Amino acid sequence: MTHILLIEDDAGTAREIALELAAGGYVLTHCVLIADGLVAARDGGVDLLIVDRQLPDGEGLDLIERLRGEGRRIPALVLSALGSLDDRVRGLRAGGDDYLAKPFALVELVARVQALLRRPNESRDTRLIVGPLDLDLLDGTATRAGRALELLPRELKLLDYLVRRPGRIVTRSMLLQDVWGYTFEPNSNVVDVHMGRLRRKVDAEGEAQLIRNVRGQGYVFDVVV
Amino acid sequence: MSSTSSSDPRTRATWRWGGAIACLLVVQSVVLAGLFWTLASGSHRREAERGFAQDCRTFSGIAAPGRPEELREELVRDVHRDRFLALFMRDGTLIEGNVATLPPAPAGATSFVAPVRPTQLPGKDSDVARLAVCAMPDGSVLLTGVDLDDSEEALRVVERSLLFGIVPGLLLAIGIGLFAGRRAAAQVDAVRALTERIVAGDLRQRLPVGASPDSFGLLCAHINAMLDRLEALVLDVRGVGDDIAHQLRTPLTRLRARVERGLRDPNDPGSVEATADAALAEIDKLLGIVAALLRVRELEDHARRSRFAAVDMATLAEDACELHRPTAEDRGIDLVCDVLPVAAVEGDASLLIEALSNLIDNAMKFGPPGGRVTVSLREDEGRIVVAVADDGAGVPFGERALVTQRFYRGRHDCDGAGLGLSLVKAIADLHGFDLRFADEGSTVSLIGPAEVQ
Repeated sequence: MTHILLIEDDAGTAREIALELAAGGYVLTHCVLIADGLVAARDGGVDLLIVDRQLPDGEGLDLIERLRGEGRRIPALVLSALGSLDDRVRGLRAGGDDYLAKPFALVELVARVQALLRRPNESRDTRLIVGPLDLDLLDGTATRAGRALELLPRELKLLDYLVRRPGRIVTRSMLLQDVWGYTFEPNSNVVDVHMGRLRRKVDAEGEAQLIRNVRGQGYVFDVVV
Repeated sequence: MSSTSSSDPRTRATWRWGGAIACLLVVQSVVLAGLFWTLASGSHRREAERGFAQDCRTFSGIAAPGRPEELREELVRDVHRDRFLALFMRDGTLIEGNVATLPPAPAGATSFVAPVRPTQLPGKDSDVARLAVCAMPDGSVLLTGVDLDDSEEALRVVERSLLFGIVPGLLLAIGIGLFAGRRAAAQVDAVRALTERIVAGDLRQRLPVGASPDSFGLLCAHINAMLDRLEALVLDVRGVGDDIAHQLRTPLTRLRARVERGLRDPNDPGSVEATADAALAEIDKLLGIVAALLRVRELEDHARRSRFAAVDMATLAEDACELHRPTAEDRGIDLVCDVLPVAAVEGDASLLIEALSNLIDNAMKFGPPGGRVTVSLREDEGRIVVAVADDGAGVPFGERALVTQRFYRGRHDCDGAGLGLSLVKAIADLHGFDLRFADEGSTVSLIGPAEVQ
């Protein structure tokens, strides 16, 4: 059971996050104050922190810094209404592992929570065989049930990223950030066009759909067992 | 004048001015008179004393029996009858002369002023004179003196002229004070009336400035310049506020209508789901507008430099092309990427690609369908030039200054909130790049700062 500690002073936001994470099967502890959050985090058993920056008794980043100072390497997702990118950088420097600016989509939050929880175990294999897919990253080739997929280098990277996160939502901004290496919101659906092409190549007519579009939010790679 | 009560600062100013000038005039007159009087009487006294000494010497040199005779002759010679000469015996008895009694002489003084009793001036039994007394060798005493009527007259003339001079002087001072005070008050009144109108919200008001302004006029000119700037800023803020309101109102209205329509038929799960989807899409669009606005503002604050690092523009341009290529192909647009290696740029890669991506997006959106979009990167005279061109005519001339303003939309047949180019401009400014529209054609360029090496 994955235990998440949420430190957030806005009751409405906290309730939405709690409902969404509970639906995802996570156990959630909610604190309003940094002081309570520190106690809960030190109790142990916490797998992930979600920390708001502006809290009634101080700056959320301080909590992360103190826990890091005590040698507790719990992954932390920083939430903040201070959406500017300078704040983002400061948040990451303070020991936050990821940063989400308010307002955010709940799907984006869950996707990033999943990514953070998974991060330490990410494999570095150059050959991935998942279900009918066989990716050879060294050769830059991919096949589905023996059928060569003829992927462009970028498409292979996208597929690699998805295959390593089976069953989890991957958002457009995550793709742009992790596959292209840029952090920005394109004002057109350029990422979706790339994904559309990848999906057409991977899921040929009559085949089971491996890459699913989550309406308006992102994509999920469904493992076919 | 609207008010003349003593509490009115303008009246007080008038009196202050008038009073100050009057005081100055009086002090000047008194000092001048005093100086004149001191100098005049000093010179008169010295002259008199020289005469007295001369008399003493003359009479001492004459034998005692001849003195009365000489004295009489001397008096006859005094046609102005302003001299006093008298010879007294040691006990004060008059021997000869035109003074009845010997006045007491203060010890030690060369001459002194005292009343005398003239004997030869009809109808006058007392007169003030400057006198000197000297002892003759035989013990008799010679009194010699000069009538002070003349010098008193001179003093009176001075006094009178001062008095007569000071009255018009005072009037003049008050007049000047009134004039200066009223002029200042009128200027202050004009400024006050105007500033009151400005405070009330009419920012178009300006202070009057003459053709050859004095210091007050210069001050007014400065205030006018300040008002110009203020008016521009207020208009800007007002415009942005209006723009934001308009921009948000349209999607909000659509959203509201959509939700309302969807709720009319709550039993149809398909309808509810479609409504929620549409609502989410609209809300995302709204959030996108808000986020873009905040980003433009943030970038315009020039605060965001913490992520600056060396950026390889060639890779960045290739990435931008690669990102847009599938979209271009879907739209039948030939996206050509003409990239030459250039020196690295100090900047934020995510922002730079966002700017370039916006330009490519615009070119594909506004260029003719089925046309060609060219992205080029080269170095020109030490400056990096990133250019995006399509086959179209580009931004119309009249709109070039407008397109970088928030929410300006040259065409309304396309999606978008009209924030793209203002974002590009803000990113360019942050990096010291110029955003330039070609004189002819559709080329839009980002031109890097001249290389500093």
